[in-house]
Amino acid sequence: MMDRIRVAVVDDEELARRILRELLAAHADIEIVAECANGFEAVKAAAELTLDLLLLDIQMPKLDGFDVLELLGSELPVIFVTAYDSYAIRAFEVHAVDYLLKPFSAERLAEALGRARERIQSRERPPVRDLLSTARADRGPIQRILIRDRADVHVIPVEKIDYVESQDDYVAVKTGGHSYLKEQTLADLEALLDPRAFVRIHRRYVLNLARLSKIELAVTDSRVAILSDGTQLPISRAGYARLRELL
Amino acid sequence: MHPILGDRRRLAIYLVAWLLIGLLLMSGLSGDSAWLSAAVFFLPLCLVYALVSLSSWYICRAFPIDDRVAVPRVVAVHMAVAVLASAIWVGIGAGWASAVDAVVNLGAGLLFAEQRALLFVVGALLFWLAAVFHYLLIAFEASREAERRALELSLLAREAELKALRAQIDPHFIFNSLHSISALTSIDAEAARRMCLLLADFLRETLRLGSNSRISLADEFGLAERFLAIEQVRLGSRLQVTRDADARAIECLVPPLLLQPLVENAVVHGVAQLVEGGTIKMAASRNGSTVTITIENPCDPDRARTRGVGLGLDLLRKRLTTQFGAYEAIHADEQLGRFRVEVRLPAVTAV
Repeated sequence: MMDRIRVAVVDDEELARRILRELLAAHADIEIVAECANGFEAVKAAAELTLDLLLLDIQMPKLDGFDVLELLGSELPVIFVTAYDSYAIRAFEVHAVDYLLKPFSAERLAEALGRARERIQSRERPPVRDLLSTARADRGPIQRILIRDRADVHVIPVEKIDYVESQDDYVAVKTGGHSYLKEQTLADLEALLDPRAFVRIHRRYVLNLARLSKIELAVTDSRVAILSDGTQLPISRAGYARLRELL
Repeated sequence: MHPILGDRRRLAIYLVAWLLIGLLLMSGLSGDSAWLSAAVFFLPLCLVYALVSLSSWYICRAFPIDDRVAVPRVVAVHMAVAVLASAIWVGIGAGWASAVDAVVNLGAGLLFAEQRALLFVVGALLFWLAAVFHYLLIAFEASREAERRALELSLLAREAELKALRAQIDPHFIFNSLHSISALTSIDAEAARRMCLLLADFLRETLRLGSNSRISLADEFGLAERFLAIEQVRLGSRLQVTRDADARAIECLVPPLLLQPLVENAVVHGVAQLVEGGTIKMAASRNGSTVTITIENPCDPDRARTRGVGLGLDLLRKRLTTQFGAYEAIHADEQLGRFRVEVRLPAVTAV
């Protein structure tokens, strides 16, 4: 007898959560440990509880199902539950266990749970994070950066970013005096940002062009970017070349 | 295409009928001749005349019987043609009789000489009979064709209606509603039934009103409220709706399903994108010759904007431009988390 599977049900519609709760009750090995009405609650649940499986709606306020998955950045098996068939390919790209179309039957849910059990037992954990980045790159530049701070989530629209600083395996996203740490390399993040609005001015810095106030010549041949709030950032020789192309 | 010549089955039935006529002629006109000579003479002759009589279709078609036609003229034409056809037939009969007698002497020539006059009269009458038959056939085909076309037209109309519906209503709305019903069946059967009725009512009204070129703004608001009532079942207390329309405004006529894309946007891109939800405010007022309709909803200013926003609005703008010309009908703006669409139309009421 294997351990009970700990499930979080994530859907912004009360009725949709209730039918899942009802149908899951028929499966003795399934335990619902969290019911979440939005993506924030889902991230919180994943941070505070041990989960084996997510039943995840896609269309939700603020954070959609894919955002949640990106924030969890983990190998948590997920079954998408949605009325939209147009996300099936993306779901496949992030290795979803299954993709249930609303309305679905008890049998169809049972089939999905069967696949989830197999996935959980096999301990096979496809790396979600990289795939999310590549899948996203095809769809144009991102508009928001999602940052998970343990159980909390910060949603930062890219136009509110001042600059991004590389800190080893992390990036620090600077916005209005705040700094948010995200586990991602600067090169990965840069690839997702709009290249006309953001420029790599230095090995360690990506700058939002809209924040640039002026460029000053410091000591011989090295330049400094002065931001509109007065912050000073070094500009490398290659960075200056890239800047000149855009200005 | 000839209705009998062009159809093998019909042709076979037609020829069999003529063989029966031939048998009648045989028994009626054989006189003193042996049955064999009567059969050899009459039966082939009738088959030949069957084919000759098919030509009456062309006359029937050239002189259709309807309100515009002078009946005496048609009768005269048919009489003349029947006389001509019968004369030809009698001529063929003479030839056939001597041909038969030349091969084996069956006394066909004698038979022909006896019945020549009667044969001519019968021939003319038979040709007339064929004409009547062809008229009936034409009437039958015409009514069948009319039926088929009526069916085709109603199918086309229904298809157009469904297309219009599909263009106006997001199918995911229906899938989501069905999912809500599916959930409600075990939780609250009565509510499930109510939801079914709401959905059916909304779809039926959309089809009914959608086929008109103009409907009253009151009807249009009614449709929008039905839609929102269904979305309220799904979204629960997150969706609130208010309506503020003056009586002089709602009697105005507007294109049907004008509000549908607007309220749908207000839900899908507005209220449903907010964790705490919000209120959709619908309003209408009339100012002289203009009626102004506004739909206002809260929205998430930081939402991702790639999800086809503005598509419904663009379609509606196109629709209104084709109907009202260069009239700048739609204004949409977003400020501080509130999205507002204003539609201004010429105030037209039913005459």
